[in-house]
Amino acid sequence: MKILVCIKQVPDMESRFKPDSAGVWFSETDLAFRMNEYDEYAVEQAVRLKEQLGGEPELTVLSIGPDRVVEAMKKALAMGCDRGVQVQDPSPHLKDPFQIASIIAAYAKDQQFDLVFTGLQSQDRGSAQVGVTVAELLNFACASTIIKFEYADGIVTVKRELEGGVKGIVKLKTPAVVTCQLGLNVPRYPTLPNIMKAKKKEILVIPVGDLLHEQPLAQTATFYAPAKKGTGVVLEGDVADQAERLIAILKEKTAVLR
Amino acid sequence: MDFELSQDHKVLRDSVRDFVEKEIKPIARRIDEEHMIPDELVAKMGQMGLLGSYLPEEYGGAGMDMLSYAIVVEEVSRACGSSGVLISAHTSLCSGPIYSFGSEAQKRKWLPALNSGQIIGCFLLTEPDAGSDCGAISTSFTRDGDHYVITGSKIFITNGGYRGTGVLFATSDKNLKHKGISAFIVDLTSPGVEILKNEQKLGIRGSYTTAFALDQVRVPAENLLGREGEGFKIAMDTLNGGRIGIASQALGIAQGAFERALAYSKERKQFGAPICDLQAIQFKLADMYARIETSRLITYKAAWLKAAGRSYILESALCKMMASEAATFVTKEALQIHGGYGYICDYEVERMFRDAKITEIYEGTNEVQRVIISKLLLG
Repeated sequence: MKILVCIKQVPDMESRFKPDSAGVWFSETDLAFRMNEYDEYAVEQAVRLKEQLGGEPELTVLSIGPDRVVEAMKKALAMGCDRGVQVQDPSPHLKDPFQIASIIAAYAKDQQFDLVFTGLQSQDRGSAQVGVTVAELLNFACASTIIKFEYADGIVTVKRELEGGVKGIVKLKTPAVVTCQLGLNVPRYPTLPNIMKAKKKEILVIPVGDLLHEQPLAQTATFYAPAKKGTGVVLEGDVADQAERLIAILKEKTAVLR
Repeated sequence: MDFELSQDHKVLRDSVRDFVEKEIKPIARRIDEEHMIPDELVAKMGQMGLLGSYLPEEYGGAGMDMLSYAIVVEEVSRACGSSGVLISAHTSLCSGPIYSFGSEAQKRKWLPALNSGQIIGCFLLTEPDAGSDCGAISTSFTRDGDHYVITGSKIFITNGGYRGTGVLFATSDKNLKHKGISAFIVDLTSPGVEILKNEQKLGIRGSYTTAFALDQVRVPAENLLGREGEGFKIAMDTLNGGRIGIASQALGIAQGAFERALAYSKERKQFGAPICDLQAIQFKLADMYARIETSRLITYKAAWLKAAGRSYILESALCKMMASEAATFVTKEALQIHGGYGYICDYEVERMFRDAKITEIYEGTNEVQRVIISKLLLG
């Protein structure tokens, strides 16, 4: 069995974000990066499947971006992936989700993967399109938003999270893509010995130009923080007086009181 | 010159940070209140590889470098100074000298259980009348056939309460001063080893500080570490390395307190605005950050020098001195920024304030560090 896990490196969500000079993405200066949270669930589930199958499957982790993304890949390798593929791209943020999916599909099409794990979405862009588009481009079965995963005899059984707390059970034949949601598992911490072992694992570097042949379908036009709204009216002074003024405002500006 | 951590060091830092956030930070206050690090946490730290970070893989360590070790101790201490010193004393004061001075057979026998955390290590040097003047120890050893027999007492032994493995120092003749001292690897469950008490302390309350009585403890001759009479050299060399661990612990305590103070100064409103708008608070934050960052640079440099096999005695004394003084300064100011709330246990900076003080005292008081530094400067 061959398994692919696709991960993205995203800024730490505690960061302060500012638009960059081009005005289509945030400035990456001084940001700390880490693995996209949903992709950690994907890596963990893939590693669990490998363990379930006695270590037989070969687990490849793929990420697109500049050299800093290798750090996220090293974490995935320390969690238990076998090898890495870095699609070297200085500006993945300028690619739309269709292009990102096309890059992954172009890499995966001749590799005979049985299963592809991705996060449900990225924490920074949040399009939730890449995983399902990869499935479409590869003509694989697909289940999104999974919160439980089982595998036996070539059949994948997943529990999906639907609207309003409703759950659905879906069975898929491999080859398949699944996109992973919060609640699927608790990702392991890479241990120090495994971080050391990861240093010896192979990371193949492929220039993005070798894999990308598609034009964007949806390009970001502008990127900005919403304008600050007015600060509202603060009533001060005597309480009885405040109550009278509040009633007057409610009568004048709303339909609550007439 | 490159001041950026390597990608591997960043992966390590982030992994340890995640571990600490989930496994240690939520129970740090309980560790202080109950004077006890839960055994489950010690086991988890062992599984993570935190107890054998820089020891080679062939002896069950993680095979990382000294900088990785400094990062581990710093990240753990950021949440819990007690857990930080457990790692530091265990690694650099017990596994460290066994690795540096032990025979191949000794390394194979003792290191795997220490590196996995199955056994916790300690360093038995200090005695009631031999602190900074550690050449004056009076715990004695005599040879009896294929054993050494050790009698005396030891105090202030970090991790002693675990009764694990100890690197113990004793003299054949007190009149010989430092030339009479030898080092032994001792199984602290041996007959004749008695715990007199585990001390009650101002800070690092989760960490054992133990007083031992040693009454004719029979230690197999094969447990002699190095040669007879080499004990003082082994002790001094070990403490040089250990200071990097204590500097990292101090750095972590300071960093933890600083982060809390920074966040609190933005939340706390007085006179209609957050207190971080007041220059009195801003200057405190600037001074705190300055001391942390400069201490970190010299601590990482000392770790880098040791890993590179270069002389690092001056830098390890310097980093221990600077980081510990940063820790007492920063925790004091962090408490002050919190005002009355800082004095209340719920806000946790009071614990950091109490934990910080010991870093100016143990592994050589800061006065001893100044002696070391000035001696090296004056040649």
